[in-house]
Amino acid sequence: MKEFNIVIAGVGGQGILLAAEILGTAALKEGLNVRVSEIHGMAQRGGSVISNIRMGEKVFAPTVLEGTADVLLGFEPIETLRNLKFTSENTFVLMNNEPVLPPGWATKMISFPSVEEIIVKISGFTKNVVVMKAAKLAEEAGSILTRNVVLIGGLAATGRVPTEIGSLKEATCELVPAKYKKMNMRAFKLGYEHVQKNVKPMVF
Amino acid sequence: MPNSRVLLQDAPGKRVLLLGNEAIARGVLEIGIGVVTTYPGTPASEIGDSISAIAAEAGLYMEYSTNEIVAVEVAAGAANSGVRSLTAMKHVGFNVAADAVMTLAYIGVKGGYVIVTAGDPECYSSQNEQDNRFYALLSNLPFLEPSDPQEAKEMTISAIEISEELELPVLLRPTTRVSHTRGPVIYGRLTKPNLKGEFVRDVRRMVMVPSNARPMHVRLLEKLERAREISEASPYNRVVREGTGELGIISSSSAYNYAVEAADLIGLDVGILKLGMTHPLPEKMTGEFLKKHEKIVIVEELEPYLEIQVKAIAKEYAPNVEIYGKTGRLYFPRKGELSTRTVIAGLAEITGKESPINFKKIDEVFSEILKDLPSRPPVLCAGCPHRASFYVIRKVTGENVIYTTDIGCYALGIAPPLNVGDILVCMGASIGTAQGISKVTSKDTIAILGDSTFFHAAIPGLVNAIYNNHKVTLIVLDNLTTAMTGSQPHPGTGVTGMRGSSERILIEKVAEGCGVKYVKVVDPFDIKEAATILKEALQHPGPSVIVFRSPCALMVAREKRRKGAKTVPCEITEKCTNCMACIKLLGCPALILEDKKVTIDEALCMSCGLCVSVCPYNAIECKGNS
Repeated sequence: MKEFNIVIAGVGGQGILLAAEILGTAALKEGLNVRVSEIHGMAQRGGSVISNIRMGEKVFAPTVLEGTADVLLGFEPIETLRNLKFTSENTFVLMNNEPVLPPGWATKMISFPSVEEIIVKISGFTKNVVVMKAAKLAEEAGSILTRNVVLIGGLAATGRVPTEIGSLKEATCELVPAKYKKMNMRAFKLGYEHVQKNVKPMVF
Repeated sequence: MPNSRVLLQDAPGKRVLLLGNEAIARGVLEIGIGVVTTYPGTPASEIGDSISAIAAEAGLYMEYSTNEIVAVEVAAGAANSGVRSLTAMKHVGFNVAADAVMTLAYIGVKGGYVIVTAGDPECYSSQNEQDNRFYALLSNLPFLEPSDPQEAKEMTISAIEISEELELPVLLRPTTRVSHTRGPVIYGRLTKPNLKGEFVRDVRRMVMVPSNARPMHVRLLEKLERAREISEASPYNRVVREGTGELGIISSSSAYNYAVEAADLIGLDVGILKLGMTHPLPEKMTGEFLKKHEKIVIVEELEPYLEIQVKAIAKEYAPNVEIYGKTGRLYFPRKGELSTRTVIAGLAEITGKESPINFKKIDEVFSEILKDLPSRPPVLCAGCPHRASFYVIRKVTGENVIYTTDIGCYALGIAPPLNVGDILVCMGASIGTAQGISKVTSKDTIAILGDSTFFHAAIPGLVNAIYNNHKVTLIVLDNLTTAMTGSQPHPGTGVTGMRGSSERILIEKVAEGCGVKYVKVVDPFDIKEAATILKEALQHPGPSVIVFRSPCALMVAREKRRKGAKTVPCEITEKCTNCMACIKLLGCPALILEDKKVTIDEALCMSCGLCVSVCPYNAIECKGNS
């Protein structure tokens, strides 16, 4: 298999590291070589966070090269936009429609693109864009903290990742705390079904 | 972090996805290390944290030491009593430990001893990006550089073996992209740690007075020659690709990963020498590699550590070989981390080949987008007690005070609207620099540091303030944990790395014991009381200490989740005039504007009530916690 590159972009505290670990663990279950890169420490405190997952036989570098992402999983619209440099016209973008306003923007009154504007900009680069309301589904599952698993479920439904849905579910169960397993499985299902039933890839 | 059970599985051959730091912890278990000491620091923290979670069950001893030099001293004592030991720290932590390490190199060790020093190219979570490979040359100690988690585990094991063969500490240096990369790790068998040591008196070897140090330095240089032989035969130093052309690449650490992919993407016919034991360098192996090529490219992160040594080797073995890197003309950046992209750019320039990806076009297209995007720097969490402390400090002191600050979450206080922090150097430097500033300026000086930092490095500085009569105010932001690095315990918490309890050392008692006459403890959320105390402290004629004590918001949130308690977020009532004082004064991420109205982000609000205290119209209600 040629290597497969996923970039996850969002805001510190949204559960990006766990999402990356789930994707990496699922790939390992299927015998793939994997690299997952994370940034910890100061950068995590509400700042921009990205994580990279690379799968395939010949992966060495833990980070994705600009222009070569197969999937961009955006936890937040502005951060999705900020990381478009990793995409090409072939990249599949799954984006959570839930803006997190950068701190201090309110007082400075800096301009701030709307989610609609962001979607238009992204679709200028790739036509494969799916937008979902992960926060709402996560609340429905039982906690906003399951937002990451909702998005993983959604990604599984797109069929755009080389990992089976079963491995993704298994990895999720292994990695979330035992007492939240049921809630996370609900989140996975809600994300999966939402994308499967309601979302058609947008064509512009 | 995976379930700690995963690390403890005795399942040889099993393939597990581990973080580089967890892989090092697994190495500890496979080679049967008995004593692990650490001071937490990104990107090294998870080594100690992984061990702490399983130490009791695995039958080894683990401690969070007060600082890095104490961590090395404790482990050096154990290793010289024959017990295998490991100490983990971040790159700058090694500066603190260096005094002990330099002389321990003369004494050596009896049980194997590894010192892990994790580098942070790009300063993701550090005050500098120093290249600790130079400590290998400075100390004469063997040095290993893993490039991925599997190697990180294997090298931890090899480091102990090399250490025992040479009777020397061995340095192991992952970087952020190894420590914080997850990759498959194949398990080996576990070894039961031996914790029972014996100290055999040997004054000439162990007591470094000058008459003993001189011959032990000679002994160290002899060991270094043996280490060179080990390096020549090391499986970590090898030609991984022969190549048939004139071009050869020499690389190590994470840089090697970028080099392989970059060479393949450009389509270069290239020989690659991968170095994992980078001190002492395998001189013969490197020399033979140089002889086979006409052009050599050195791909390494940060300083030209390999390059200057390879150039010296080339003088002996292949004086005509051309060497490209970053001495003289800069083909690769000497700052920050490398990437496949920067390596492609360097290789393309050296070989005159085209880059397979048009990065210039990507930059042009996306710079347009980035231009309009608001940046998102890290901020203090909603509910963080430091925000209350900084608000009080600002309210009382205004613009006319110099704030020296320190290493920890509270360094984020420099961001608007809090704007507290005028100089930051290293752990504990706030109390020292404050004294110099106060001596030569007429300004009041406030030193700010955290609880873990206080124990780590501030006590000598505090004693100096009293001894030398410096009128400074030290504010210790005591959030009862080492927050920035992942909430590790410290001497002020009464909890140990073994998850047991110990005597809780109170910062105020230490300050009193040092002779500070004005010492107060206050909750920073009690704004009125905290402000009164700060005013008093600034009036005090000598050094003063205030402990602003309130637990870390992340810790409180975790505790609530554990107990199943819910947070009732603060509410904005109809009295709100939208004056935005709360947003402008506090910059709390839970205070947002929705349709141009001040709103509370209910998912983020921790109900700390700080905004209630600052609202001029009493328009925010805090119903507290259920």
